Amino acid sequence: MSFRTFILSLSASFGVAWLAIVIVPYFKMRSLEPIAVEEGDGTNAVYIPKRAGRIADGAEVYAANGCYQCHSQLVRPTYAGNDMFRPDMGGIAGDEERGDTRRETNAFDFQGEKFAQIGVSRLGPDLSNLGRRIEAIYAKGANPETWLYGHLYNPRWTPDRRESSCPSFRFLFKVTEIKGNPSEESLPFPVEAGMEIIPKSAARALVSYLLSLKKDQPVPTSLNFAPSAAAAPKAP
Amino acid sequence: MSSEVSNNFEQDAVLRASIDRSLRHPVMFFLTSGAAWLAVSIILGVISSAKVHSPGFLDGCGWLTYGRTQAAHLNALIYGWGFQAAFGVIVWMLSRLSRQECRASGIILTAGHLWNLGVSVGIFGILAGYGTGMQWMEFPSFCWPVLLLSYFAIVVWSLVQFKVRPEGHVYISQWYLMAAMIWFPWVFITANVLLHMMPGNPVMAAGINAWYKSSLIFLFFTPVALGTAFYLVPKVSGRPIYSYSLAQFGFWTLAVIMPWAGMQKLTGAPIPYFIPYLGAAATIMFFLPAFSAAVNILRTAIADPEVANNSPTLRFTMAGIIGLIVMAAAAVFLNIPGKTLEFVQFSMSGYGFEILSIYGFFSFVMFGAIYFIVPRVTRREWLSRRLIKWHFFPSVYGVAIIALIAIFGGIQQGIGQEEFEQSWSEVAKRAVPYAWAITIVWCFILFSNFFFFMHLTVMWLRLGRRSTHPTMLVSGHHGSPHGDDGDIDNCGPGTVSAH
Repeated sequence: MSFRTFILSLSASFGVAWLAIVIVPYFKMRSLEPIAVEEGDGTNAVYIPKRAGRIADGAEVYAANGCYQCHSQLVRPTYAGNDMFRPDMGGIAGDEERGDTRRETNAFDFQGEKFAQIGVSRLGPDLSNLGRRIEAIYAKGANPETWLYGHLYNPRWTPDRRESSCPSFRFLFKVTEIKGNPSEESLPFPVEAGMEIIPKSAARALVSYLLSLKKDQPVPTSLNFAPSAAAAPKAP
Repeated sequence: MSSEVSNNFEQDAVLRASIDRSLRHPVMFFLTSGAAWLAVSIILGVISSAKVHSPGFLDGCGWLTYGRTQAAHLNALIYGWGFQAAFGVIVWMLSRLSRQECRASGIILTAGHLWNLGVSVGIFGILAGYGTGMQWMEFPSFCWPVLLLSYFAIVVWSLVQFKVRPEGHVYISQWYLMAAMIWFPWVFITANVLLHMMPGNPVMAAGINAWYKSSLIFLFFTPVALGTAFYLVPKVSGRPIYSYSLAQFGFWTLAVIMPWAGMQKLTGAPIPYFIPYLGAAATIMFFLPAFSAAVNILRTAIADPEVANNSPTLRFTMAGIIGLIVMAAAAVFLNIPGKTLEFVQFSMSGYGFEILSIYGFFSFVMFGAIYFIVPRVTRREWLSRRLIKWHFFPSVYGVAIIALIAIFGGIQQGIGQEEFEQSWSEVAKRAVPYAWAITIVWCFILFSNFFFFMHLTVMWLRLGRRSTHPTMLVSGHHGSPHGDDGDIDNCGPGTVSAH
């Protein structure tokens, strides 16, 4: 085999896979086609995923501190795992207003981010619906931001989380002198008199991003794979 | 007739010695700085692993938070150690195989410093909190052009040498190394340009990142290690390769199958449905190139069990090839859709597989190559067989334990995740005992690499034994631990210009 043939065969064997699973899918998915909210309902309404918060810079803090090493952001369909059956992972099983809001992750869910943090390992829970979970369960009735700041500062501060292996992100906070009234964001942890612990800008961005993780909004019919109400098994 | 033969033999020896001398500085630079990065990576690995089970360890400091040290650990292992070991071996081996002195060792050495600068800045960037969050591409985004540039400046000379080589047979090692040298920039440019410069759908970007990881393992580290093993084993054992057609089969199955692998990490993610399953299938089929190469190499090596056991080079290389067999078995075992794929998708099994492939397979073959190359380029022999043994045993047992613990620990984690009626804290606790074991074993590996690094540094300073007897791993006190006079090919009868 001549050197030329060798190079050509190598390029062909690699190039086919490269085109088929990298280049073509990437460029086809660069601009997703708009999806009608309800097909054939006579309107031109398209699905526009809603998301609010400091998503771009919060995602950078998330990436730079390696949150993806322990947390995934993917609710897999039932053919690829049991994620959908957890009562609070793909949404909230018993949402007070909307009933069962669980659904799988779709291609629009990472809007505003450059890179979907699918994650490496699940040493910690999936964060696809962290914002929803904090509001509905963890900090029920209280301010979700305060709860999350406290969790980032010391993940083991509540008794039910004393075994958490999440690192403390104390370095995203600073201790400053209280000038006038204490800050609304100050953390309820012991500190010298006259001082308070407040989040730095990176912590604010991160918390805003994490609270934006509510990937359980209703989706258009064509993306909705939930079993119909009649077919769904009754909750025990 | 006999004078002609001995004349050729002498010319050959002179040529080999001059090739070795022309590459002494770049090769020793790559190998020692690689070994230093390996030590850095293992220290970071110990720190990261300790944080999994004891989150209070070195707590509260941004530079040492788990997410950053774990990323720095793997990036130092890949770009600091893996690539530099590969560079050292590639430039030396392709010079030898093309029978050409290297005329660009100054440029290669400079480019090697540039590569090290890129890696240092990258690791510093990750620890300082400028990581990009894309696995194995965490270096701040200005690093990759530096690495790419220095990569080309390092390997292009080997391609030139190949082009101007005296006509002749192209050996298997050359296929593997040349293929790796072509695949790597293709993969590296694709992933970096698409992810850093042409943002697209974020989920597909994550898919490309997973493909990049898999491609580095299967299309760079695997072919470099196989090419090296195909060179070392016949060279040391003095026997031809067991089967040439089997080698061809192994090479082309690798080339055809492995570019498809990698995206099974995104099973269930919103990307085209067929891609993750294609990736799982391709990864499972890794057993074809792996087993055919492993059988070929082992059949060649065990033809003479005594040499295989006594030569440090062969012992490390064989350990690496056994690592390859385990890795191929793990590739099958971890990627069966509907059985194991979803259990291990988000677990420490992935880490176990990475360590198995980069350390258990690739690095062991590189260690074998280092034990072969360094005496030739420094013209000194390894000081102590005991140091080599202290490097071998803790490393072999250590990496086997880490890989197996992480793989099985990951399955335990996955089983916990699937038990959707258990609370998440029950799931998270399942990983803790495995993390403890991994921390302890990394400490052993660190210990063994301390001996390796020390030994290598001494050799770099040319404080090795001035002898013509290679250091062999003969056990017990009977006889000489050193091989026969003249076993080493640059100190044999043809040693003319020893200085």
